[in-house]
Amino acid sequence: MSGRITVKTVERPRMGLLEQVYVFEALRGLWVTSRHFFLNLWRHTLKAAGLKAEPGAVTIQYPEDPAVVARRARTRHRLLKREDGSPRCVACLLCETICPAKCIRIVAEESPDVMVEKRAKSFEIDLGECVFCGYCVEACPEDAIRMDSGQVEMSAHSREDMVWTMAELMGDQPKLRPIRPSKDPLAG
Amino acid sequence: MSSFWVDALWSAVKVLGAVGFGMGLAGILSWVERKQSALLQDRIGANRADILGYRLLGLFHMLADPIKLLVKEDFVPPQGQRFWHDLAPGLSLACATLCLAALPFGDSFELFGRSWSLRPLPMGAGVVFVLASLSVGVHGIAMAGWSSASAYSLLGGLRGAAQMISYEVAMLSILAAPLFLYGTLDLAEAVRWQARTLWGFLPAWGLLLQPLAFLLFLTAGAAETKRAPFDLPEGEAEIVGYFVEYSGMKFAMFMTTDFVESVVLAGLTTALFLGGWHLPGLGLLGLPQPLFALAGVGVFAAKVVAVLWLLMQIRWTLPRFRYDQLLALGWKGLLPLSLLNFAATAWVVWGWTR
Amino acid sequence: MAEVKLTIDGISVNAHEGALVIDAARSAGIHIPHYCYHPALGNPGVCRLCLVEVEGAPKLQVACRLPVKDGMVVKTRSEAAKKAQAFSVELHLVDHPLDCPVCDQAGECLLQDYYQRHALHSSSVREDKLHKPKRVELGPNVMLDAERCILCTRCVRFLDEITGTRELGVFQRGEEGEIALTPGKRLDNPYAGNVVDLCPVGALTERDFRFQVRVWYLKSTPTLCTGCARGCSILLQTNPERRWHAGGRRAVRIKPRVNSSVNGWWICDEGRASWKAVDAPSRLKTPSWLKSGKAGAMAWEDAEKLLAAELAELCRVRGPEGLAVVLSGTLSNEDLYAAKKLFVERLRAGRLLVKPGPDQLGEEDGLLRRQARVPNLRGAQALGFGAALKECSWDSLLEDVLSGKVWGLWAVGRDPLAVWGEKGPAALSKLELTVHQAVHASAFTQAARWVLPSASWAEQDATFTNFQGRVQRARKALEPLGASRPDWRIFGGILRSLGGAWPHESPEPVFAELSLKEPAFAGLGFELPPEGASL
Repeated sequence: MSGRITVKTVERPRMGLLEQVYVFEALRGLWVTSRHFFLNLWRHTLKAAGLKAEPGAVTIQYPEDPAVVARRARTRHRLLKREDGSPRCVACLLCETICPAKCIRIVAEESPDVMVEKRAKSFEIDLGECVFCGYCVEACPEDAIRMDSGQVEMSAHSREDMVWTMAELMGDQPKLRPIRPSKDPLAG
Repeated sequence: MSSFWVDALWSAVKVLGAVGFGMGLAGILSWVERKQSALLQDRIGANRADILGYRLLGLFHMLADPIKLLVKEDFVPPQGQRFWHDLAPGLSLACATLCLAALPFGDSFELFGRSWSLRPLPMGAGVVFVLASLSVGVHGIAMAGWSSASAYSLLGGLRGAAQMISYEVAMLSILAAPLFLYGTLDLAEAVRWQARTLWGFLPAWGLLLQPLAFLLFLTAGAAETKRAPFDLPEGEAEIVGYFVEYSGMKFAMFMTTDFVESVVLAGLTTALFLGGWHLPGLGLLGLPQPLFALAGVGVFAAKVVAVLWLLMQIRWTLPRFRYDQLLALGWKGLLPLSLLNFAATAWVVWGWTR
Repeated sequence: MAEVKLTIDGISVNAHEGALVIDAARSAGIHIPHYCYHPALGNPGVCRLCLVEVEGAPKLQVACRLPVKDGMVVKTRSEAAKKAQAFSVELHLVDHPLDCPVCDQAGECLLQDYYQRHALHSSSVREDKLHKPKRVELGPNVMLDAERCILCTRCVRFLDEITGTRELGVFQRGEEGEIALTPGKRLDNPYAGNVVDLCPVGALTERDFRFQVRVWYLKSTPTLCTGCARGCSILLQTNPERRWHAGGRRAVRIKPRVNSSVNGWWICDEGRASWKAVDAPSRLKTPSWLKSGKAGAMAWEDAEKLLAAELAELCRVRGPEGLAVVLSGTLSNEDLYAAKKLFVERLRAGRLLVKPGPDQLGEEDGLLRRQARVPNLRGAQALGFGAALKECSWDSLLEDVLSGKVWGLWAVGRDPLAVWGEKGPAALSKLELTVHQAVHASAFTQAARWVLPSASWAEQDATFTNFQGRVQRARKALEPLGASRPDWRIFGGILRSLGGAWPHESPEPVFAELSLKEPAFAGLGFELPPEGASL
């Protein structure tokens, strides 16, 4: 292994006269955008008229249609359980240590099972502070935490509600989201 | 009723019509901006605002925006100068709106034994009036930048002022060629000049006789309206500019100014290069003169809308220029080319008429 | 003793004849890995980790059992030595569970360190690991996990050689060998906690610290123990950031700091547990006074002004003879100096009490613990208390109070009610002014007219003089709790309110003035070396 860095020089493509004049390239660009404009306008018109047409947009209409999340996307954390239903977490605090946002708070206690030794008394993640880097998943020696819930809707009405407890992260208890009347922050 | 009061009333109608035309188009443009960009980018565009569940292609955003902006706080920076801060957007918008008055919406017609002009302010030097009015608009920008007491605003204001002054120089010299050809500064006269045909079938529009000037004028005009690809004074998400310290309706006035300036520019382009209210073949319908003149207004409006569509398309197609490229284009590209064009035109016109 | 010269890893090293190669290498800054060897506990040579190559020797040698010889050439990092060291680590790991994530030793474990530094192998052992008793309570402070033990026998040797109590032994042989209590015994001697520090792995752990917080969160402050007149060098470990651990306490653990002139390698269990008092709920946090039966908190500025006015008035009317001040050796040199300036030089208080009474005496043994449970008795003496400045006793003070000769009692860090017993309340009712200046609340706090909260030893920079006359630095590990402040600042504030000169805002100039004015401290500076300096 040599420490040398191989440098590949990429020649900037030289522009011809027509390109330098800009006008023709600009027209080419206008041709592309105009094609899209009129094609999509035509498709929307057909659809509005109740005729069969290809969709005029490639975007996902998110609130109406469900969000499409890639299988490998880092989504909301979940805590896993052993086969006997007890949490896999042994409260080693490696995730808490590695967390760059310091959003994981674990309190450890003695486990009744002498072979498990240690377990989490409480395990909280403040999703309001989480940066979704996934380091906690990487650091976990027990495969106890994963970011594969597929859930991306985590907003809440207060900072306190952004904190997920152990039972909520394990799915034992639904995350309660009390919808409160929003308070005017200036009203004191 | 005395002829004075008739004149005054007719003028008021025309002025209101012109301002309504400009402001209405500006309002619609805020919707067009969103929807046109969405269409050409394969998106849907703004569609959330609704009344009783009806969304109407997102048209209610046109209503929702001003309502939101009107009820927002009018914030002036504590170190800012409130008087000038308040004046700046008004001045900008007023100057842009004033230009509408000079646009030749239609030909004059004879009715009830007198001549009715369809221009809000019939004047012999319409082009000069428009350009002068646009120039005064620079003050609004500089004023906004200065009175905000923010370095970013000030820099944005200075960028805007430098850009607009540079392109005004170019604009005047670009317009010199077609105006020399038409032999008038009166916009209505320029339109009438274009009513002739070349070789019996081709309309003698400025677009055909002065294609280079048309191209240059469109470029300079886009720069004058401070819209992409020349939106360096204030670049929406990326460039902090002269109205960064503005909020609420004052902010909206700056936005409206850009749209009204676009309308003015489109009107000027229509009048000088696209034959104004003329449409080949319209005369064959044999309409009575007043109706024919009103149809001209429709033609003029249609042409304005077409130019606006083109400007919008350019705005969403071309990437933004760098600031040095912008100034280089103005001083080293547009100005020499327009002077050459003027010299060539002068020579041809001289040769033609001799 | 004769000097010999040898070469270790190409470095020329001088050593005393008879010294061990491992010590000679350490003096040259070369660390030879080892588990069983400990400078205070001898060298059984059981861990086989310190194998080094010696030129001329046919086989690798154990550095902890090899005396130096003149002209010896030792290679600790030769290929053969490295291979042997790595193999030793691998053998130690054959039956050691890989439960580092739940092991409290992780982060300060020699097995982890040496694996990273010397081994980095992937295990070639296919067999299952042996299982042994886990979570065995050896005594009130120590927990054993026999699986993690690598049988270095340091703990056994400590209990044999240092305390002589012999609670632990190695039972069974070979792979079944394990550390266990000798029948009928419990690991409860007053120095038992030291086996936890000695254990190079996570086999012996402190029960108070178990699962409280990971060691890599801790901040260590080199300071001294204020539990007795010994003044052992310690590391006070605090959890500065993640306050949800360890029950929200800031101070979480105390470890001994090697200081050959005071405590060697050890501390007693009493001192080891002294962090508990730092964040105890009994801490006093705000100055307050009793007015018409109600306690009222106030700011320091007001307290100083009002108390000084009261003092001045009473001294004028009743005479300073009737003011009794109870100080003690728990106060630092700076505190005592400020107290001297306030009570002796300014107020001319009639009665002073510094020497430890029944409230500050404890068990003494030959190892570390001293009878006087105060860290600075010698410092008080060096400042003249008990000698040039006459002292009274608890008993004579009680008599004087009861007979009405004393009108004011200012007790610093001590509780007269605890000493006087049932006569206490009667005595207090005779007093016009009572001041309790202390770190923790006690019975006297309820009765005293004035309560002034002091900062604890962990919350200030100060100097203490131990019974040997060694001046050592306590270093600030934490911010004072609530509004509490160091005692010298309290004294200085009152002195200033009385019109006296007290320009100091930090302990360093106080000590500078002290070393100028007090001949016993002449020539000493505030920045003392880690092992302290003699008077």
